[in-house]
Amino acid sequence: MEIKKLDTLPEKIIIPLRQHRGAVCEPLVKKGDRVLIGQKIGESAEYQSSAVHSSVCGEVIAIEEAAHPDGNKVMSVIIQPEDSNESVAFSACKDVKPDQLAKFIKESGIVEHYGIPTHTVLRPKGKKIDTVLINATSSEWIGGTFKTPGDYASQMLDALKLLMKAAGAKKGAIVLRTDDKESIDAFEGIEVNKKKLKVAPLIGSRNVGYYFNEQNSDIVIVSQERIFGKKILNFFTYRVTGRKVKIGCDPTDVGVAVCGIKSAKALYDAVQTGVPFYDTVVSVEGVSNKMEYILVRIGTPFKDVIDSYGYTGAIGKIIANGVRTGVAQYTDQVPVTKGTTRITIQKPEEVIRDEAIECIHCARCVDVCPVELIPSRLAVMADQGRFDESRQIHVENCIECGDCAAVCPSKIPILQLIRYAKDAIEMAYEDLPEKESSNLKVGCGCGGE
Amino acid sequence: MTYTISAPPHKKTKLDFKTLNFSKIIALLPLCLAAIYFFGIPALGIIVASVVTAVVTEFAIQTIFKQKITIGDGHAAMLGLMLALLIPPEAPIWIPIFAAFFAITIGKHVFGGIGSYIFNPVLVAWIFTRSAWASYMTPASIPHIGQFSDLILEHGAGLMVGVSPILLIGGVYLIYKRYIDWRVPLAFFATMIILPQTLLFVSGVMALVHEGSLNPLMYMSQMFALLSPSPELSYSMIGIVFFGILFLATDTATSPVTKKGRIVYGITCGLLVFIYGYFANYVDGLIYGIFLANCVASFIEMNTMPASFGTMSCAEKAYRRVMDKIPSSLKFEVVNNE
Ligand code: SF4
Ligand code: SF4
Repeated sequence: MEIKKLDTLPEKIIIPLRQHRGAVCEPLVKKGDRVLIGQKIGESAEYQSSAVHSSVCGEVIAIEEAAHPDGNKVMSVIIQPEDSNESVAFSACKDVKPDQLAKFIKESGIVEHYGIPTHTVLRPKGKKIDTVLINATSSEWIGGTFKTPGDYASQMLDALKLLMKAAGAKKGAIVLRTDDKESIDAFEGIEVNKKKLKVAPLIGSRNVGYYFNEQNSDIVIVSQERIFGKKILNFFTYRVTGRKVKIGCDPTDVGVAVCGIKSAKALYDAVQTGVPFYDTVVSVEGVSNKMEYILVRIGTPFKDVIDSYGYTGAIGKIIANGVRTGVAQYTDQVPVTKGTTRITIQKPEEVIRDEAIECIHCARCVDVCPVELIPSRLAVMADQGRFDESRQIHVENCIECGDCAAVCPSKIPILQLIRYAKDAIEMAYEDLPEKESSNLKVGCGCGGE
Repeated sequence: MTYTISAPPHKKTKLDFKTLNFSKIIALLPLCLAAIYFFGIPALGIIVASVVTAVVTEFAIQTIFKQKITIGDGHAAMLGLMLALLIPPEAPIWIPIFAAFFAITIGKHVFGGIGSYIFNPVLVAWIFTRSAWASYMTPASIPHIGQFSDLILEHGAGLMVGVSPILLIGGVYLIYKRYIDWRVPLAFFATMIILPQTLLFVSGVMALVHEGSLNPLMYMSQMFALLSPSPELSYSMIGIVFFGILFLATDTATSPVTKKGRIVYGITCGLLVFIYGYFANYVDGLIYGIFLANCVASFIEMNTMPASFGTMSCAEKAYRRVMDKIPSSLKFEVVNNE
């Protein structure tokens, strides 16, 4: 696969000051300033945040609210780029202590694709991480800017070691996808601490714990089937490590940090060369069978990316991050952010406009649900506002993969209804006092298995 | 330019309710043609009367109650067709008309329409008509299979469905295409085969006990009874039973949605049909059996709700309890973490 580089400079670059969940950054520049490539333009003192850098050299023309691919408006720095490659001086960050490494990750603006700043995943407050996982199941190996599969494998391993170092974790694993032959071949037989590793499939109760023992290594490469989903983390942790994450908690509560390929690659680059996270590879697809990988600077409006894809016809829908769970955009002047992985365009006639009819109990949704829910029932309960009952049948387990809604012959918006129920439950329980167990322990009461 | 915004997923399967219904109708067409060939014009009359009445009734009800007209989805036509196949071809023409009317009004719409009815409308109408006008609804002959050739064309068939079990192969294709679920038919079919064989075995053993035989080899030899087809098996392998397995039991609204529940439901159907059929005949047995299974479908569904993912089942818990007692040096099993 080949990666195109988006060379033409867009008219303006929109860099949101919040590209992660957590605090919005304070702008460090003001209107009229000239910024350089890699210059830090946003920062927050809060722990739950990550720095933002300029991806071009140019003049700040405004600091205002602008569209964000998650559908909201966010305070953004708008830069008019100029044709120059002037950048700030980058300095590599090799051989540092874990603490400094974590700080360096925050400074370099590295965030996970699911929106949490990487340093908070690796060093959550009050919790201890013992295992780091790199989830490579949802993106192709080219998701970063690797030249060859071999490059990919060795850089990923180095990145994993860095992540483990920053987290102070002893164990680490890279999770590949079973049907991703190219990556598996690349990792097969790779050496870690002079030991050859095999890519091991996760089957039944053989989780990473088993392979750590079997291969007698602290780093293993495993493979599993693809799972989609927005709230995939808890389920992923369970599948890979066998540790069950309680409802309302996240993997860090059981000592697991889950990172994505993108952030791992960004970390590797940052450590090697000092370049912060300011460009990313997005894939563009739709309208034809062609799929393209384009390296773009963060802040480039979708319009420019689509233009470089070469489609000029009428567009019905623009979707960020995939057709299954992505967000449809209301404007093409929305920027690529650190969390953007894919842009999909649909022609007007491809846009679905089905009308839902009654559920016919065909059980298709039950058959596809990866977490063993009864989506049809959840949808009915959400529709009727019976949230307590939907809690009894584990609505929170839903990983929001959208499979159920995609296969439903009655075209019921199941996922939407489930989200509605989840939101309602979250809001209803928000102001309740913490559960009893948290009086005994600090933080979340999950504490392990 | 304006863009559409909507909630995900942004791509859905093309399959819809209409396709499901029409594919069932198409799967039944070969059988209809065979029935018309065997029984002639009266059979055609019954099929047309039943389908037309069903569609007209649905249209009328939805117009009167100002609902959305859904005759286009083919559901009413499918019900009418299935019903027609269960009516003896000698019946007067008002029987299918009344039955189809009853199926759509009482069977379907009184219970709330698609997805809400708890009894399969076809069965409801059949049972009502059969009880009210038993003489018209009794087929001229009860089909049973003597030779293999009867599997292909059943000459003694009394109902239209009976003419050719083999022509129901369309239903198997639907399972292959996943238009209908495989769990219910498989569990149903397996039960229908296993029960008569077990009965044969048990009765053989009982006979030996009765004779006072003490030779264990004699008892062992009864195991072979499990392999030789019992007479009951060939009685039950008739068109209507295949029809029930493939088309009636798999009706989505009246079967449970849980995975385990569908297996249990299939077994329940098989059990009930066998009991009814064994003591009477399999034509009535099938309909009453599935109808009774419809009654408990909801109960089965409620009791087979899956637990939260990763919860151990009873068997797993028992296994854990034993395995945790064994010292780890003796174990081959997977070592969990650390
Ligand atoms: S309920 Fe639907 S969206 Fe949720 S996990 Fe199951 S299939 Fe996915
Ligand atoms: S897939 Fe749709 S129609 Fe089928 S059971 Fe689920 S919600 Fe009902």
